[in-house]
Amino acid sequence: MAERWDRARVLALAPDAPSQRAAQSLASGRSWQLTGAAEPGALWGECRGSAATPYRTVVDLAGPVYQCSCPSRKFPCKHVLALMLLWAEGSVKDDAGHPPDWAGSWLTAPQGVRGGGQPPRDQGVPGDRLPGQARRAEQREARVAIGLAELDRWLCDQVRQGLAASQQAGYGRWDDIAARMIDAQAPGLAERLRALASVPHSGVGWDGRLLEEYALLRLLAVAYRQRDGLPPPLHATVRSRIGFSLRQADVVAGGEPIRDRWQVLARRDLEQDRIRTRRTWLQGRKTGRPALVLSFAPTGQALDDTLSVGTDADADLVFYPGAVPLRAVMATKHDTLDDGPPAGDTIAGLLASFAAALAEDPWLDSWPAVLDVSPVRTPVPAVSDTAGRALPLHPGTGDCWPLFAISGGRPVTVAGEWTPRGLWPLTAWDEGGRAVLL
Amino acid sequence: MSTWQDLVTASLIGTERSAVPPAAVPGLPIPADAPADPAAILLDRAALLTVARRGGRLAERADPLPAAEPDPAAAVSPAAGRRLARMLSGEHPDLLAEWLTAAVARGRRAPAHLLPALLDRARRVSPTDPELRRLAALAGGSRARWLAGLNRDWAFVTTHTVPGDGAWRLGDGGQRRGYLTQLRSRDPDAARELIAASWDAAGPERVMFLSVLADGLSLADEPLLEAALDDRAAEVRGWAAYLLARLPGSALGQRMAGRALGCLRLARGISGTHLVASPPAECDAAMRRDGITPGQGAGRSQLASQPHLMLEVIARTPLDTWTREFGRSAEQILAVPAGGWPPVLFTGWSRAAMAQRDQEWMAGLINWAIAGGLPGHPSGAETLRQLVRRVDPAIGAPEATASRGAGPPPAVRDAITVLRFRYDMLKELDYGHSAG
Repeated sequence: MAERWDRARVLALAPDAPSQRAAQSLASGRSWQLTGAAEPGALWGECRGSAATPYRTVVDLAGPVYQCSCPSRKFPCKHVLALMLLWAEGSVKDDAGHPPDWAGSWLTAPQGVRGGGQPPRDQGVPGDRLPGQARRAEQREARVAIGLAELDRWLCDQVRQGLAASQQAGYGRWDDIAARMIDAQAPGLAERLRALASVPHSGVGWDGRLLEEYALLRLLAVAYRQRDGLPPPLHATVRSRIGFSLRQADVVAGGEPIRDRWQVLARRDLEQDRIRTRRTWLQGRKTGRPALVLSFAPTGQALDDTLSVGTDADADLVFYPGAVPLRAVMATKHDTLDDGPPAGDTIAGLLASFAAALAEDPWLDSWPAVLDVSPVRTPVPAVSDTAGRALPLHPGTGDCWPLFAISGGRPVTVAGEWTPRGLWPLTAWDEGGRAVLL
Repeated sequence: MSTWQDLVTASLIGTERSAVPPAAVPGLPIPADAPADPAAILLDRAALLTVARRGGRLAERADPLPAAEPDPAAAVSPAAGRRLARMLSGEHPDLLAEWLTAAVARGRRAPAHLLPALLDRARRVSPTDPELRRLAALAGGSRARWLAGLNRDWAFVTTHTVPGDGAWRLGDGGQRRGYLTQLRSRDPDAARELIAASWDAAGPERVMFLSVLADGLSLADEPLLEAALDDRAAEVRGWAAYLLARLPGSALGQRMAGRALGCLRLARGISGTHLVASPPAECDAAMRRDGITPGQGAGRSQLASQPHLMLEVIARTPLDTWTREFGRSAEQILAVPAGGWPPVLFTGWSRAAMAQRDQEWMAGLINWAIAGGLPGHPSGAETLRQLVRRVDPAIGAPEATASRGAGPPPAVRDAITVLRFRYDMLKELDYGHSAG
């Protein structure tokens, strides 16, 4: 058995003081139904909590790496800490024999996937890490690797058994795997998976759309597995799609500010899990670069309104690293200016720029569009340019009558998001040159 | 494209029971290090094709729609447009008709992007307010007609903008009303003659006829209305009495003035001037013919119905009766103590002021209510609510907003808000509009 730790070393792993206190009271031992330890340094235990089934906690002291079935977002959670405290004070029976199956399968996951990899390399994160941070980052990489391996197996299982069964499956099928991605600290994957639950009921073509999403998810798993061979920008894209987030302050500190007159083209507000997200699309008048600024607020609270659609922001933007750098943070805003509508592109121009971007980032599924078009009905709502080319509107936009009303059958400048399912029109400039949010 | 469909079909069946179809993208080699698991192979091929299909997507073709005719009317100011948007999303929805009427009167049109919401609103509320459809169609102009051609929900726009003779002879109730309303605003006498000629044959439509007469009312309409006081339908009689009471110089107004002066007089005593009320004892046949109903309490208690009868009489009495008889202005009359009668007087005079569109009385009553005279009775709050929606806000608003004190009752606070809203609303619609 591994050399026994002392309590202080265990408590040093705790993310905060409340976790230390909670772990110490939980280590009184009465909540634990089953604990065990085995060579070369494995601990496991079942702890009664508020849920019907006990939480299952497993620790590999070699990392240490740990996992717990509780819903806590703290890492490590109080159960992990309490189990390690019990072991530190000698209350866990050594040589407990074989671990139970649920613990064994985790403990015997491939060594290369479990924490033996390279130290994490977060692009754009400057400075030296504190030892505790480095250890946590390493554990995170290990957990993500395990999670992605599990996701890859799950995806292959779906395709092996056939997607036809998906139409009968409840939301639970995707919620379960999404919850496991949360456990694996890959929230980006979890969000993508939860969104899939509605695809089997999204009408004609659902099967193709589900296959597309599964295929791109596996591509992400494969890419992460081979991350050391990826060019750094693409590696950054893979990490951000998985859900490794960078702090805005670190992005600003580590990136190069780009000053331009950024036209505020459009915005789209989304709400998920009691968090509101505002996606604001910008385009530089000098550089021509597109940019996406995100802001967040809890449900019921106002979103940031400093970037007003239809104005120009004279500002320094710093882009997050990535194969197609789109997301940016506004480091400094110098001025707000008023100017007319942006110059619209043709539909051919939009498709060409999207194809070029997709060649760099195959997961890209929304791309800013500024078009001179008029809305048509073909019979689905669409927009068409003067060359007679047309693109459908996204089915989620409905009939989009305000766009028809502004156009009156004549071309108008429209800004929006181009997606594989169609165009989300978000802004149109009326005959007076004023921006109207659609 | 069939390559992709083959992959989708195989994925639906599952690689346990189906072979993995080949997938090739022109110009791209098949990767050498393909995995062994058929499911993984299928997913890898699907990923390749997904990105290739997204990147290689071609535009479709579509012909543009025929363009809307240009609209000679100018759009309202941006501020007026923003206020219309607020009203369409729920703020003071009951003032929408006033916004539309004012915009149409100034020859302005509603902003194009708000037309879908405006037409939807007009369609939804039409059973209670057919007038809103007509106003929405007028304020929407040629763009609204163009939209109506694309969405059958809004077909009413075309029936309300071109009411020809056909609309009168063949149209439904709404179209006949639209035709008559137009005729009344263009040529009031012609409209009255058309109503008189159609009167005997018309049944329930007589109510609609009378409601159309409300606009542009004159003494020339009196004979028709006096005759309608003897109609068999109570609703027709009620409309006729209501219109006659609104009509300056009508015989009904004179009859009411006679009754009213018997109910209320100015007394000068040692403690100063005050109003003395002596309500009518009963509701006689002549009063009933002039539109007065005995009231709900009449059957059970004679006493309960007396204040009601007085209120009904005052509400139909020409307001200049009081100013002439008492030798005082509206404001001065309102300042005279009246014992326990202010609730009845406030409601009665308010109804009269609204029916006779007497701005001086309406402004006086509002200021009196805001200054603390509002009776605690719920009907007082409702009356104030109606007053502030009918008064010319240029007359009613400045004083009302000036006297905003600490913690006024909710009804008064709401009244001030509405006045302010209407004042700003009409000012915005005047912006950039030359009187000519």
